[in-house]
Amino acid sequence: MSASPPKPPEPERRGWGVDVGLVLWPSFLAACAASLLFFAAVDPALLKDAGPRLFADLDREAGYVLGFIFFWVISAVASALSVYLVRTERGRRRSAGSGPP
Amino acid sequence: MTRPPHLKLVPTPEPAPFYAAAEKIYPREISGRFTRLRNLAVVVLLGLFYGVAWLDWDGHQALLFDLPARKFHIFSLTLWPQDFLYLTLLLIIAALSLFFFTALAGRLWCGYACPQTVWTELFVWIEQWTEGKRSRRMKLDRGPWTAEKVLRKTAKQILWVALAAWTGFTFVGYFTPIRSLGSGIAGLSLGPWSTFWIFLYGLATYGNAGFLREQVCKYMCPYARFQSAMFDRDTLIISYDEARGEPRGPRRRGTAARAAGLGDCIDCTLCVQVCPTGIDIRHGLQYDCIACGACIDACDDVMDKMGSPRGLIRYTTERALHAGVTQVVRPRMLVYAALLALVSGALVYALFTRTPLILDVIRDRNALYREVHGERIENAYSLKVINLDDKPHTYRLAVSGLPGLELTAPAEPIAVPSGSVSNIPARLEAPATAAGGVHRIVLTLTAVDAPRIAVEEKTRFIGPSS
Repeated sequence: MSASPPKPPEPERRGWGVDVGLVLWPSFLAACAASLLFFAAVDPALLKDAGPRLFADLDREAGYVLGFIFFWVISAVASALSVYLVRTERGRRRSAGSGPP
Repeated sequence: MTRPPHLKLVPTPEPAPFYAAAEKIYPREISGRFTRLRNLAVVVLLGLFYGVAWLDWDGHQALLFDLPARKFHIFSLTLWPQDFLYLTLLLIIAALSLFFFTALAGRLWCGYACPQTVWTELFVWIEQWTEGKRSRRMKLDRGPWTAEKVLRKTAKQILWVALAAWTGFTFVGYFTPIRSLGSGIAGLSLGPWSTFWIFLYGLATYGNAGFLREQVCKYMCPYARFQSAMFDRDTLIISYDEARGEPRGPRRRGTAARAAGLGDCIDCTLCVQVCPTGIDIRHGLQYDCIACGACIDACDDVMDKMGSPRGLIRYTTERALHAGVTQVVRPRMLVYAALLALVSGALVYALFTRTPLILDVIRDRNALYREVHGERIENAYSLKVINLDDKPHTYRLAVSGLPGLELTAPAEPIAVPSGSVSNIPARLEAPATAAGGVHRIVLTLTAVDAPRIAVEEKTRFIGPSS
């Protein structure tokens, strides 16, 4: 066959939306699990004793929310790194011409 | 010996569906056995969700995971953070049940009980009520923005938002007392955090049930991905009987299908139109299938009209489909059932033998020991007594482990109100002749009115080194 073989379809251009979802959704699930475990053992009202300057006006309900957001941010960072590593690896392999990803 | 072939999942026959902009699915309205069953599940489950929050029991909310107070009320049982074990066991039981029922009957959870399915169903009902049936909805969406379209869409949105807000409110009402939450809203004095959670959950309901729908099952649900690990050839699935249906094709009513070289499938595509995830069950088992049974109802209806037997699409197993006999009892089922029985038994045992009393003993940090009256050695402790019972108790403290060891304080029995913590200083004395070195001793705390409620706590008694 003289014509070039049919190329595998290019992964379509996609916006940031999908990556944002890939980062935020699993980290949301992880943050739920982490909050459940952490706050079962730790009373957020006690955080006041841990860092008086940081948590001076912290009541319990605020502690739950802050804790949850903290866990979400941390897991989102891990998710984002994973996504970033996967994306950049594909790019490297494609440009090296070693076939489809 | 060769292993039996694994259950074959066919890829969803859409071009690269993972990142393609999802096409809106207009599930067609349907009636039939499985639809009635799902409607029943929707009414019962949502009825429980919206209703139980308002139920009272012994002067408190019957089911309340009171996070602000860090106490869980489950009818007459009150659990504390110290009772985390029970919650863990409960979660393990939930996971094992999911495994067990998945292996037995496939995606029962997805089709009938998952909140995503249940709330989507409710939102679709509202949509059908305000915008009409499938064909009308499609026409409405394609058409220009007429006054009628604006009216219908606005009505739908108002109902959706109201339902989502009520759902968020009810959800938060399981974590903070719902009546005070309600009066907080009525008096516009709701705390910022409760407001935050109500909005978050309301928004999640609105987005998931109103817009994302089947995409949650297809792209976001981890269970949908790993459930095939629990499937085998004897798991109940929804399947199209290819041998009976093919070759498919339209025909006049009353045509002898076999004589015309046709199978039983008339290719009416109703099974595709009713599918909430928009798949064609005739392509085979796909992981997008949430096993809701809508296609069975649709096909049975058509078969009735055509005068053919029902069940061209039916609940069956891979083995039965290939002329085998389904094995309900098989090693996988026995293992799941045994684990389930074991953990459930552990939970029941732990609950029945639970002592609603906790004693923490901390040695005085300031001094190892003190000499009193010349010939006696005293050690000081601070006790933390937590009464987990739902009534007040008076407790008597006893000591053992060293000859001549005596309790000098507290002199009185310790009274602790229900659900409270008391911090009590305690002092023990022993004769100097016996007290040299380090001794392991045991403190025993017993409820005066209920000797069954008793705990032991080990600690140390320290005297001068000899």
